[in-house]
Amino acid sequence: MVLFMSCRNIGCFIRLVALTVVMLSILCLPHNAAAKVYIDIDSPAFQKFPIAIVDFRKISQQGYQGELSGWFSDTLAKYLEMTGFFNIISKKAFIEDQKQAGLTVESTRFADWAVIGAEYLVKGAFQSNGRDLASELHLFDVIKGEVITAKQYTGKIEDRNEMVRKFAGEILLALTGDEGVFGTKIAFILKKGQNSDIYTINFDGTELLRVTNLQSLTLAPRWSPDGKFISFTSYRNGNPDLYIRSMSIGKVEKIANFDGLNLAGSWSRDGRKLLLTLSKDGNEEIYTMDLGSRKLERLTHNFAIDVSPAWSPDNKRIAFVSNRSGSPQIFTMGADGDDVKRLTYDGNYNTSPSWSPRGNRVAYEGRVNGRFQIFSTNEDGSSSSQLTFDNADHESPSWSPDGRYLAFSTRGGGKHRICVMNANGLNVRVLYESVSGSMSPSWSPKIK
Amino acid sequence: MKRSLAIIGIIGLIVCFSVMVMTGCAKKTGVKEQAVSAEEQAAAEQGKAKADADAKARADEEARLAAEQRAKEAEAKVAPQAEAAAQQETMTSKDVLFDFDKFSLKPESRDILKQLAEWLNNNKNNILLIEGNCDERGTTEYNLALGERRAKEAMKYLVELGVDGKRIKTISYGKERPLDPAHTEEAWTKNRRDHFVVTSK
Repeated sequence: MVLFMSCRNIGCFIRLVALTVVMLSILCLPHNAAAKVYIDIDSPAFQKFPIAIVDFRKISQQGYQGELSGWFSDTLAKYLEMTGFFNIISKKAFIEDQKQAGLTVESTRFADWAVIGAEYLVKGAFQSNGRDLASELHLFDVIKGEVITAKQYTGKIEDRNEMVRKFAGEILLALTGDEGVFGTKIAFILKKGQNSDIYTINFDGTELLRVTNLQSLTLAPRWSPDGKFISFTSYRNGNPDLYIRSMSIGKVEKIANFDGLNLAGSWSRDGRKLLLTLSKDGNEEIYTMDLGSRKLERLTHNFAIDVSPAWSPDNKRIAFVSNRSGSPQIFTMGADGDDVKRLTYDGNYNTSPSWSPRGNRVAYEGRVNGRFQIFSTNEDGSSSSQLTFDNADHESPSWSPDGRYLAFSTRGGGKHRICVMNANGLNVRVLYESVSGSMSPSWSPKIK
Repeated sequence: MKRSLAIIGIIGLIVCFSVMVMTGCAKKTGVKEQAVSAEEQAAAEQGKAKADADAKARADEEARLAAEQRAKEAEAKVAPQAEAAAQQETMTSKDVLFDFDKFSLKPESRDILKQLAEWLNNNKNNILLIEGNCDERGTTEYNLALGERRAKEAMKYLVELGVDGKRIKTISYGKERPLDPAHTEEAWTKNRRDHFVVTSK
């Protein structure tokens, strides 16, 4: 774990080097004003933040001999770039004399940064002793010539990635009002032959972990709102039954094994209910299950296929797929199943609704010219926009917990990929690629 | 004394005669016996040979019959089994295919199901599993529902044709168990299918 503190001078953080206990103590700097006006990064007019990141200053380095000055700046640049909200200014353009400059406002020549187009500037320093590492990071507003935020972190050499990730989160928080999704994971299905299992991977593409090992077909993972459980469907007992797995102790519990399909939709925001698709009553209908009492409530009564239910963030409405109009389309209904409204009209195949945690958009996949593409639309079906366009199939969109990104899967050219992109369809990044089949991504909540 | 001699003489004669008679008789019967014995022996031998031959013939016949019977029995046993297996294989080798995003039965599918229904009605010890499948396009979940519809549609038709619904089970694998893993129209056509598995009760 990384310990981080705010501090104005390098002297005080040296004392923190020896600390290994986790402690969070944020001392806000006096000029980190309370009434902050954030830039609306979701506006179509948003221009990426132009930011310069200087190689970190080495105070002292003993023990670990790897290069760290450039590593810190490059890694921070990588994380900021990942968000899609930053334009990283090339180090080759830098003109400020680093021998003269320091980490303080007074020792920074903001004119030298403004002239190369930087509106934001990051400077940092580090020192290491054995396996201990301390770092200090400062974010400056170049135009105003002031510090926006500054943090110090102490930990082990191997924690350095987390230090940078945390500071990237601080930068996002300071500029956009939300620390982003650096600490989140994406669960997905990886097929191997006739079987499949759930895996997770971090938002930054690191740490691929196997979650289930059930020697059967395992499908459709969904996170609980606290990130402590994943629901899924598995054929481990022959029938597609519904299970919940505890992420901490790995316990797998069977939740529903009715005749036919037992599929989980999304969890309620209090984590007490699950939306389900069951076919026990003759055809696929949508239900809620109270996880405490296991009591079912049936919401749809229609001879057509009703499947893939997803709650709105306030749990007042439910998006779902139905072919009641002849082809699969997205509908919404009230929490009790009444007041059904059709959301999609374009094309003859729209499925996989995912409701943005911000509440205003529903993402789905639609078929255009024989290819599946990701779309998002307002919850009344207005201003639908296509987000992917290339010649592959894009499926199963899942929103990030901050509502700024979508995870999805692609199939094309014999490759199966798990990708993330910004909510506007830009900045597509591949997290995992396989030949055997990777699909059904589900974005975790922010895991504390 | 003379009388005694006479008696002795008579006794002697009697004895002699008796002996003569006895031996004469014995001689005669001996030959006769011999003759009879030879005849009998010949006859017996002949009879035995005949009996042996008869027995052998009978045994042979029995063996032949038994073999025939066994063959018949085996045939009676194996033929329907082989035939049943062949039929079963024929019945289950034909998948029922569907159009994209459809679960309605095509005319050729109904023909396949009619044969299957007839066979099931003649083989009441068998039960049927219908596996509904989809091609790889579209969502996992919608395809699980679609695969289930495909399986149930075939089941409904079989029940209409007189098959006891209790003998039929359905399962959907959605798009997860393609017959042909290729990403071509040809593969997709094969993968949008109901597959049939017959097992004994």
